[in-house]
Amino acid sequence: MTAPKRWFFLTVKLVLLTLLLLWTLVPIGWMVLSSFKPNSVITANTPRVFFTPTLEHYVSLFSGGNSLWPYLTNSLLIAGTSTLIAVVLGCMAGFGLSRIRIKGKQHLAFWIISTRMAPIAAVIVPLYLLFRYLYLLDTHVGLIVAYLSFNLPFAIWLMTAFFDDLPPDLEEAAMIDGATKFQAFRYVVLPLMTPGLVTTAILCFIFAWNDYAFAQTFSGPSTQTIPIAAAQLLTQTGIDWGKLLAIGTIVVCPMAIAGLLVKRWLVQGLTMGAVK
Amino acid sequence: MALLTGKPSARRQGFELAMMSPALFLLALITLVPFFSIIWMSFNDVSLMGGLTFEFSGLANWQRVFTDPDIRSSWLISLFYFLATVGLEMILGTVMALLVYSLRRGSNLIISLLLIPMFIAPVIVGLLGRFMLDPSHGLYAWLLNETGLFDGNILGSVGSAMVAVILMDVWEWTPLVALIVLAGLASVPEDILEAAEMDGANYGQKLLYIILPSISNILLVALLIRAMDAIRFFAIIFITTNGGPADSTKIIPIRLYDIAFRFFDLGYAAAVGITMLAFSILVANAFMKLLKRQEKRS
Repeated sequence: MTAPKRWFFLTVKLVLLTLLLLWTLVPIGWMVLSSFKPNSVITANTPRVFFTPTLEHYVSLFSGGNSLWPYLTNSLLIAGTSTLIAVVLGCMAGFGLSRIRIKGKQHLAFWIISTRMAPIAAVIVPLYLLFRYLYLLDTHVGLIVAYLSFNLPFAIWLMTAFFDDLPPDLEEAAMIDGATKFQAFRYVVLPLMTPGLVTTAILCFIFAWNDYAFAQTFSGPSTQTIPIAAAQLLTQTGIDWGKLLAIGTIVVCPMAIAGLLVKRWLVQGLTMGAVK
Repeated sequence: MALLTGKPSARRQGFELAMMSPALFLLALITLVPFFSIIWMSFNDVSLMGGLTFEFSGLANWQRVFTDPDIRSSWLISLFYFLATVGLEMILGTVMALLVYSLRRGSNLIISLLLIPMFIAPVIVGLLGRFMLDPSHGLYAWLLNETGLFDGNILGSVGSAMVAVILMDVWEWTPLVALIVLAGLASVPEDILEAAEMDGANYGQKLLYIILPSISNILLVALLIRAMDAIRFFAIIFITTNGGPADSTKIIPIRLYDIAFRFFDLGYAAAVGITMLAFSILVANAFMKLLKRQEKRS
């Protein structure tokens, strides 16, 4: 390639990349920045980049009558429990499913993947009715069950993919040395599975933490999660943008950090093992 | 000993079965019970109006599903929304991946930054969209106004509202496509690219004849993953326009939610839900076929 041509391509590349970075990062940056603005600056007619930062929105979120604490504990409790159950059971089942040789394994796998893919709006309808009969509306158990309906098949499927990557020779060698199947699993296989377990756990937690539709339908005064707290700030009379942006920042930051921590395994996780 | 006894039997696989059973039992409980319930509900008149009533109604709900013009228009809107979001995400995501892949330095940092939107809760994406597009103090609304491109209530007008909710979805999920494509690009044969360059192929030719064909499978994975989620999530529209203005963004999940929890007609909602379920089963089926094909190749 000639020199001017090379420069032309480089310029095009940098311009496109800058545009993509701006498109992606401006809304996030603007949210975080604006969450430190006093209300008068947020609602000013022209956007302002320079201002005296304030923590008032964060302080008011965690003090006063309608504090964010209960929402935060609900979110942590519900997302945490559903993640724990999904990962423990999913890890066991993933190992079994990866190693077992039975007829109809294909059908089993298909059932698992299609439960994961079921549209949330369609799942809500029967669950609402069942929860009403079982008195599970506005309970932590109800939401945990609702989140398990997508996190459990996800965890089983993903852990199966991770176990598939590990050749069975290792366990077989351990068993020839006299280990039982359980010992081979517990002491040989499981220690090698840390990345898979952490990735699965983080993704399950993010899915549950980020849910809005289930929480909107099944939660009540004592079980509302953080996304509900954010949506409640949209009222007929006006929107408290300062508080809303502060909640947004609180919801987003930990998940972005957690997600990027497992970046190396993210592709495998989010394509459910189809891409390595 | 076990290695010598030939055929695998159920007894020898007892450990594997025992490991699988708790998860499969729980999964069956929390998915099959709702599954049979939704089917049964679709043949009944289930109303929440003034207490719960349950009355067998035969095929009445199903007849409505296939004749209701509102449902048909919602499917058409869904189809448009689906083609626009998934199409844009595939194109932009591939461009994003190619750009990042071509970087010599800093690609790790840049892809990390580009990935952030997909970790954000869809409801927050919607709220942030409302903030950026707010007619009186939104940054993007202000920019569009100053440059004379658009000066109205973006989320309140037919047409612009649709464009806005599409772009919010594209903003959130393009990085996922980019991430998947980037993984595929690593497997493009380097030596063939070099050989092509020696023979004087330009970038467009390399892209069309070498790069794209060798990542076609990966592109299909990205397409299926996005197709599946496009019908699963509806929080962005739920929180921004809730289907408005004038039903112009009322995709099928929003319509279903309205039927169920605004008009309290759970039986009818169940029938609509089953048609959505059928769609997702088709996607799951395609996904399984693709996986099988990949297994055969490797």
